[in-house]
Amino acid sequence: MAAPAPTFSLLTRVLHWLMAAGILGTFALGAYVARMEVGLSNLWLFGLHKTIGISLLALAMIRLLWHRLRPPPGPLPGPPEWQMALARLTHKALYLLMFAVPLSGWAYASATGLDVLIFNRFVLPPIAPVSELWEARLLLLHRTLTWTLLALVALHVAGALKRGLISRDGTLARMIRG
Amino acid sequence: MNRGPSRRIVLASVLLAPGIRLIGGIAGLSLAGPAHAAPARYTLDAARSLVRFETSFGPDIITGDMPVKAADLTLDFANVANCRVLVRLDVAHARASFPFAAQAMKGPKVLDSTGYPEILFKSTMVRRNGDGARVSGDMTIKGVTRPVTLDAAFYRQKGTAAGDLNHLSIRLTGLVRRSDYGAIGWSDMVSDEVRLDILARIDRAE
Repeated sequence: MAAPAPTFSLLTRVLHWLMAAGILGTFALGAYVARMEVGLSNLWLFGLHKTIGISLLALAMIRLLWHRLRPPPGPLPGPPEWQMALARLTHKALYLLMFAVPLSGWAYASATGLDVLIFNRFVLPPIAPVSELWEARLLLLHRTLTWTLLALVALHVAGALKRGLISRDGTLARMIRG
Repeated sequence: MNRGPSRRIVLASVLLAPGIRLIGGIAGLSLAGPAHAAPARYTLDAARSLVRFETSFGPDIITGDMPVKAADLTLDFANVANCRVLVRLDVAHARASFPFAAQAMKGPKVLDSTGYPEILFKSTMVRRNGDGARVSGDMTIKGVTRPVTLDAAFYRQKGTAAGDLNHLSIRLTGLVRRSDYGAIGWSDMVSDEVRLDILARIDRAE
């Protein structure tokens, strides 16, 4: 593994913000499709939610591979150790959930027995047995993991804003400008 | 009898086809002559018959059709109580108006075509109803048997003479509730009631 770079590379920053937008966007879309009256005119939104979710899974894999090739810089010093430890834990959990949330959604969709169609073209192989019990449990898992991810994103944003607006130590700025 | 889904025809085009005429109801049919006074066996022309269904999907409608696998028909226009109808439908080759609907319908949450590849209808009572008939019977879907009643109207086919009972078209309409058969999947999106509209073209067996 290469030594950590002093700044976040352009690709690292693009992946960060692209995934941030994708996570928030597909969460909003998922919450909407779960409540809408389903008909022929809006059936495509399910496909869009799955397409974005699986794209985010692919981006998470690219991101981890990229970090192996070009490790991101470590945290800037300053906050007390408990806050640094909380940030490390939050980052690890965020990465874990970036995989677990789309995988649980894929598994839930598989359990319904319907094709998991993305980009309105490609059918993903099922990764869970077709069963109403599995379907109910995996939907619960997908929802729980999603809300956990959202809570951690909120914590991550709160930490970034604290360092960007209160501490003004350059932590937020380097994820924006490099 | 089963000639596969590719031979199916579109109901609308059949009903609008020139030459199909409503024949004079069962009362009129009974006047056809002594040759037809006794119960007669008919064979179903499966390739030219169609079991069509529709149900509500939110603000929209899902339509589809299901091929007939086999049919055993005995009709007596002089005494409709003697009529007997037994029909087997091919669930595995059912079609719907969009791919997810067909997959959902044939999947384990609705018809479970792997475990239950057939739908069976067996008449228990046929009685005159105006110009047509009312056919009561048992419908077996997903291994569950429930009574249903279908309304029947009789037509003569294109190119046949009035009173010729050798080639007939029968239109059967009615509805079933999915919940009666435990076929309740996607009940939050798809209506419980499924309307049936069946066109059967039958030929008198020699």
